[in-house]
Amino acid sequence: MDMSFREKSIWISLISTLLIFGDYFLNIVSLSSMPAEVSKAAALGLSLRALLLIIVVEILLQGLLAISNRKEAAQGSDERDKLFEYKANNFGYAVLVIGVFITLGRIVFLEFNTEVIQQSTLINIPLLTAHILLFSFIFSEVVRFSAQLYYYRSSH
Amino acid sequence: MATLPIKNKIRELRFFADEMTQQELAELVGVTRQTIMAIEKSKYSPTLEVAFKIAEVFGQSIDEVFQYQSA
Repeated sequence: MDMSFREKSIWISLISTLLIFGDYFLNIVSLSSMPAEVSKAAALGLSLRALLLIIVVEILLQGLLAISNRKEAAQGSDERDKLFEYKANNFGYAVLVIGVFITLGRIVFLEFNTEVIQQSTLINIPLLTAHILLFSFIFSEVVRFSAQLYYYRSSH
Repeated sequence: MATLPIKNKIRELRFFADEMTQQELAELVGVTRQTIMAIEKSKYSPTLEVAFKIAEVFGQSIDEVFQYQSA
């Protein structure tokens, strides 16, 4: 497969984001069955682990990619890379805005329906509002990377 | 992505320019080889700046290199 440096870099970001945050969100959902005091610390630990892991993995893999493609890495993005990035940003932004509005809607809904909190086990996930926001951000990133890759693949 | 209405003679011009490679043209113009490949296949329409640079490399006017073909 003939890929530019920028396209390879996006593949790395997409796959590492999916693997690291996919594992993270699965673990977060499983916390709902734990006692509140235990799950709160575990949720914080999982968040920090995922953030640290994505930083380390990205630095390592993007660094290796740049070392093995020194010339292309030094050249930076060209006009086609930038165009695909701008177009893909629109999709990512739309997803992020939807996520923010869902979070706002949830906050307002729970403020007026406090009895729902006691009835649902899923809603008892610690720091759930933060996780919904984080999920929206990560999902918007996945959409943004996927849209960029779609444009690259379509122009081959 | 369907082919775009802007067609070009870049492949032919490269051939007559001592069989210039896509990589060589890309370096002269300041884009990636994949972008030159996409332009050649009419899968990507370059900006005016890059179109002028490509024409300049071959010593041609822009309308000799690129042609607009309406549907």
